[in-house]
Amino acid sequence: MPDVVPIMRMGPDLLVTLQGDLDDRAVEQIEQEVTDQVARTSARAVLVDVSGLAVLDSFVARVLARLVSMVRLLGADATLVGISPAVAITLVELGVSLRHVNTALNAEQGMGRLRRLREGDASRWAGHDDRG
Amino acid sequence: MAVGDEPAHFRQMIDSIVDYEVIRLDEKGVISSWHPGAQLLTQYTAEEAIGKPVTLFYTEEDIVEGKADAELRAAAETGRYGTEGWRVRKDGSQFWASVVLTPIREPGGTVTGFVKVTADLTEQREQTLALRAGQQMLDGIADYEVIRLDSDGVVRSWNPGAVKLTGYVADEVVGRHVSMFYTEEDKRGAMAEREMASAARDGSLEVEGWRIRKDGTRFWANVVLSPILDDQGEVTGFVKVARDLTERREQEQLVQRQRDEILELSTPVIQVWDKVLILPLIGTLDSVRAARLTESLLERIAADQAEVVILDVSGVPAIDSGVARHLLKTVEAARLMGTASILSGIRPEIAQSMVHLGIELGGLRSCTSLKDALQLALRLVRAGADAADLAGRHA
Amino acid sequence: MVATVVVISGESDLLDVRSALRTAAERAGLRLTATTKLVTAGSELARNILRYATGGQGTVTIEECTTRAGRGVRAVFVDQGPGIADLDEVMRDGFSSGGSLGIGLPGSRRLVDEFTIDSMPGRGTTVVISQWDR
Repeated sequence: MPDVVPIMRMGPDLLVTLQGDLDDRAVEQIEQEVTDQVARTSARAVLVDVSGLAVLDSFVARVLARLVSMVRLLGADATLVGISPAVAITLVELGVSLRHVNTALNAEQGMGRLRRLREGDASRWAGHDDRG
Repeated sequence: MAVGDEPAHFRQMIDSIVDYEVIRLDEKGVISSWHPGAQLLTQYTAEEAIGKPVTLFYTEEDIVEGKADAELRAAAETGRYGTEGWRVRKDGSQFWASVVLTPIREPGGTVTGFVKVTADLTEQREQTLALRAGQQMLDGIADYEVIRLDSDGVVRSWNPGAVKLTGYVADEVVGRHVSMFYTEEDKRGAMAEREMASAARDGSLEVEGWRIRKDGTRFWANVVLSPILDDQGEVTGFVKVARDLTERREQEQLVQRQRDEILELSTPVIQVWDKVLILPLIGTLDSVRAARLTESLLERIAADQAEVVILDVSGVPAIDSGVARHLLKTVEAARLMGTASILSGIRPEIAQSMVHLGIELGGLRSCTSLKDALQLALRLVRAGADAADLAGRHA
Repeated sequence: MVATVVVISGESDLLDVRSALRTAAERAGLRLTATTKLVTAGSELARNILRYATGGQGTVTIEECTTRAGRGVRAVFVDQGPGIADLDEVMRDGFSSGGSLGIGLPGSRRLVDEFTIDSMPGRGTTVVISQWDR
C-alpha cells in the first residue's frame, strides 16, 4: 500500500496515478484522498491514469466509477486514462462497461479533451444528461 | 531304513504334506506309496497310482527319451538327483515340476527304491519368465525412456531408451536423484518433488517440459509418471516413461506461427491518417478469428494511440448475432481505451437481418460507405472534443 | 503440475492470489490478454470467498498443467461456506446476493476457457477455472 496517495496538481487539474497491484484498502484510501483534494483545491478536472495498474477487477472498477460520480458532484470533470488492451477486453468480458465514465488513451489526450471541454461551447453540453 | 513297514507317525507326517508330493518308488521305478499331497498334484488316487511305473507322470517325449530311467540311475549313482521339467497330470494338463530323487539303500548298500519329492513350480516359473520378459521388453524399447525411481526420486533402473534419450549410461545414473535431468530453474523450483507428489496424489501425472541431456543440450520431454504402490497402498516408487517431443513441439510451433500469420493477414489493420485506423473485415468470422481480431486491433490502437477506428464490414458476407456481439464488444473495449469506433459498409440485407435478429448497435455510429466513415473520422479527429464526446457516451 | 496453495482469510490475501496466478500464467506462457483475464477472474472468485464463505475463508490451489492440447493454468477455489442452492440463478448476469454488482460468477466464467462450479447448500462451493495458452 502506498504511504502517500500519488496525486499531482497540474494547474487547475489533478493527475492521479494508480500503480502496481493495489489492495482494496489502498483503492478506497485513494478514492477518499482524491475527493478530499478535489473539494479542498476546487480542482476543475481529475485524470486517473490506470496504465500502471496490474489488475482492474470489478471491485476496482466500481470504486473508480464511484470516484468519477463523486468528482462530478463536486463540480469537476473526471477522465480515466491508459486502460490497456488486455484490461479493456477483460472489463468488457467481465461485464463492467463503465458507460458513464469518460476515457482517454493517455494523460495528454485526456488533458486536451478536458481543456477543449472547458473552452468549448458550454451550450453544446447543456443537452447531455449522462454527466453525473 | 526298511521299505514297506514305515512307522505310523512317519506315515502321518507324509500324509500331512499337501504342498509337495512325497512318494516312494521301488528299485525299478514303480510307485509303491501314495499320499494326499501326491493326489492333489497329479489327480491320481492311490489305487490308480500304486503299482504303476513312474513314467505315468512323464510327457510322451520324455518317455521316448527314457528320461525316467536315466534319472533313477543318476540318483542311484550320485546319492541325490534333482531336476526340473514338465510333468503330466491325470487329465493331461502339464505342470512345471521340481523333482528330487533320493535312493533308499539296504545296509549292504543295494538300492531297494527311491524317495521322490515333487513340487509344482508352474507359477514361480511363469513369474520368472514374466520378469525376464519384462526386462527384455524394457531393454527392447529404444525410443522411450522407461525407468524406475524410488519414493525419494532416486533412479533405480535404467533402459536403453533412457540411454538414447539422455546420453547417460546406467552406471552414471542409477543411485542419483532424478532432478539431474532438470533445468536449473526447475531444480530451484523443486519441480521433480512436486511432480512426484502430484503423481502420488492423482495416481498418475503427464507433463511436458525441458530436460537436460548429458552433453548439456535440452530436449522437450513428454513424461508420464505413475506411482508404484505396495499392498498397503503406500507409494514405494515411481515408473517414469519419457520421450523426446522436441521435433513435434517445433512442428506445432511452426504450424501455430503459420496460423498466426494467416490470421494476421486476414485481419490487417490499416492506418489511414494519424490517429485513424481502418479494420477491413473480410470473409467469415469465427470465434477464434474474431477474438484474435479484437486483440490485434486493440494492440494497434495502443501502439498508434489511435483516436478513431473504422470497422469496415463490407467484406463480410453475413453478420449473425455472435459476430455482432463480438463487434460490439470490440467497440466497447476500444471505448474504454479512449477510442471512438465507426461501423462502415453495412449492406441493406445485413441491416435487415441484424434488425430481425434483434441486434442493437446502441449508440455506435454507422455509415453505409467507407468514404462517409472516413469523412466522419476526420471530422472527429479535427474536432478532438467530438471524439471525446463519441468515445465517452455511445450506448 | 506445480501446485501453489493460497489460503484466503483476509483482503490482503487477494494480492497473493493474483500474484500466484500471474506467476503461473507467465510460466505457462499465456498471452498477456489471457493472463489478465485469468488474474481478474481469480480476483473475483477469491473476493467471493471473502464475502460469502463462512468466516470469509477458503483456499485457492493453483497448478500449471500441460496436456497434449497445450500449456495452461488451473485454479481450484474451495470454501466451506453456506453453499449455493440455485446455481443457474447465480450464474445469470445481474444476480447478486450480497449487494455487489452481481457479475462475479458469470463474469468470471466469460474470462476463462474452462469454468466449473460445484455447490450444495451447507457444503461449501468449489469453482475450477482453467486458461490455456491458445
